[in-house]
Amino acid sequence: MNLTVTHLSARRGTRTVLTDVSFTAYPAQILGVIGPNGAGKTTLFECVAGVLPFDSGKVDNDLLFYVPDAIRPWPDQTVRWTLELTARMFDTRLDETLLDDLDLVALQHATVRSLSKGEAKRLDIAIGLASPRTVLLLDEPFDGLDLRQTRQVMNVLRRDAAKGRTLVLSIHQLSDAARACDRFLLLDHGKSVAEGTLDELTAGTGGLEEVFLALT
Amino acid sequence: MRLRELVRKEIAELAASRAFWLLLLIVGLLTGQSFITAMNAYAEASGIGGGPAALAQGLSPLDGILTPTLGAYDLAITLLFPFVAIRLIASEKSSDALKLMLQWPASIERQIAAKAISLIGAWIASLVPFFIALALWRGYGGHLHAAEVLNLLAGYTLRFLLTAAIAVAAAALMSGAANAAIVVLAFTIGTWALDFIAAGRGGIVQTLASFTPTATLRGFERGLFRVDVVLVMLILAIFGFALAANWLHLGRSIKARMAGTAVLLILASLGVINVLMLVRTSFDVSENRRNSFSAADENLLARLPEALNITPFLSSEDPRMADFENNVLVKLRRSVPELRVVYPLAGRSGLFENDAHYGEIVYRLGMKTATSRSTTEEIVLDTIYELASMRAPVRAPSTYPGYPLAKRAGGAGWVFYGLWPAMVIGTWRATRHVKRSAGGPPAVSPRARRQP
Repeated sequence: MNLTVTHLSARRGTRTVLTDVSFTAYPAQILGVIGPNGAGKTTLFECVAGVLPFDSGKVDNDLLFYVPDAIRPWPDQTVRWTLELTARMFDTRLDETLLDDLDLVALQHATVRSLSKGEAKRLDIAIGLASPRTVLLLDEPFDGLDLRQTRQVMNVLRRDAAKGRTLVLSIHQLSDAARACDRFLLLDHGKSVAEGTLDELTAGTGGLEEVFLALT
Repeated sequence: MRLRELVRKEIAELAASRAFWLLLLIVGLLTGQSFITAMNAYAEASGIGGGPAALAQGLSPLDGILTPTLGAYDLAITLLFPFVAIRLIASEKSSDALKLMLQWPASIERQIAAKAISLIGAWIASLVPFFIALALWRGYGGHLHAAEVLNLLAGYTLRFLLTAAIAVAAAALMSGAANAAIVVLAFTIGTWALDFIAAGRGGIVQTLASFTPTATLRGFERGLFRVDVVLVMLILAIFGFALAANWLHLGRSIKARMAGTAVLLILASLGVINVLMLVRTSFDVSENRRNSFSAADENLLARLPEALNITPFLSSEDPRMADFENNVLVKLRRSVPELRVVYPLAGRSGLFENDAHYGEIVYRLGMKTATSRSTTEEIVLDTIYELASMRAPVRAPSTYPGYPLAKRAGGAGWVFYGLWPAMVIGTWRATRHVKRSAGGPPAVSPRARRQP
């Protein structure tokens, strides 16, 4: 199912944090939202997910699920409890292969509080994948992961997208974004400055980094 | 989504919280201390050890055992339970779990309802030491009047519910658990101050003060079940939980949440005003009928032809005023269809009064007026009957026998200071073990096995 966001604008007090942002994410594809720090990536995700108010614009898909960056939900509970809770809340059963895919089997009885940064990040991704929602937004899914884990998570996400889910990832590492995503939305100062595939964006330039530096 | 699933989640969160287990531990110790002290005092009043026994009719388990034992819960509700309730919201806000929960198919209102249900569950679990105390009391041969016990429990449960709702609302509104705790404690201290200031003042201040948690408990502790108090407490509790749900809608603008607050405030105010204006029903469930005149007197008072006006020229701090308020006015309010009380000396200490009228209580019924200085029930009633040209009924002596029990709380110390802590700690450890081993023995991922 498509996720279409049109003319989204948001203010925090007197400061405008998002201005007229529009984009579309498609099923079985991964859309990478990239941009410098403070560009408004997290704010955009939270407005789209409905956990932050926005002033104008439209989000045409409410069957989405957003997982914030670096959260440790229910820190006194175990990894398995947290994942089972997520699945149960969506009236579904936990897919056990998820634990294996994200190297969480050995950690399933550990409390969320006790996880390292990388382990907590894998749990966050698993929480997102445990939801059956057709659109999944993950904020910085590779932050805190080492190279091997990053590749492993990328594979998991690609497999999940291939099953038809629409994935939208916020990524600040351009190299990770280039490897993981099919299409890109470049944000700067709360504005959408470019959208397209890697080829469309880099036509006539060297690569994603050059586009990033030129447009932001 | 089924509410049951949400309640299950909240109970798991409570069970995972050390604050909850600590609360259970402390409540048991406090209850034990209160019960043992009350038992000893009751035994002495009953003449244990050859001392002079109090008049048997004056020995009521409601005053002597139940109320002091449940006093431990007043302390727990004021100082311990708010932290357990605040944690249920504040930890999910600070860990950003709330952002996940807002996207679940269950509405936040339903999730708050689940939290309220689980908190009631926690309250019931915390009552186990009280039930143990009741069982011990019965085991020692003590007497219990079921209606008094149930009424007292209802009062404390309402008190708990109101505190929990305030704590949950504070946690939803404030940015951190510490700030929420300060708000709840400020509210409690504010109600204490209101209770103190309003004593014997009359008017809207006293009406408001009669709904503070402390004042409402006083009624239940006297064996009085006031429907208006119950309804107001329920309205305020529902308002607190609804306010919390309103402020946890993070996707709504502040303006929208303020508007929601205004709507809730208007609805709650309308509800409270309606209850205050329309509901006067109350039930005296005390075994010795301490909140009621005799049936013959109640019948006569119900037939007073006009409104009865009473003006006590007594300061609010005068013990006679307290006596008149608690032993006469409480009963008159339940029996006289139209009663107006004016407090002309409200707010004065009474220590330096030179007024010759000080100490008088003026009664007016239609055009007739009578003055008396007595605060004794029989004399007050006779004065009113004289004004109404009614003949005072023949009053039968009270049939309440009183229940002296000259026994010490043998073995209670072991139960509350030994067995209870061991049970709480043991159950806490068992729940931790169950949580870690849920879903069978820890499996090892093939990939984890491969990697060193």
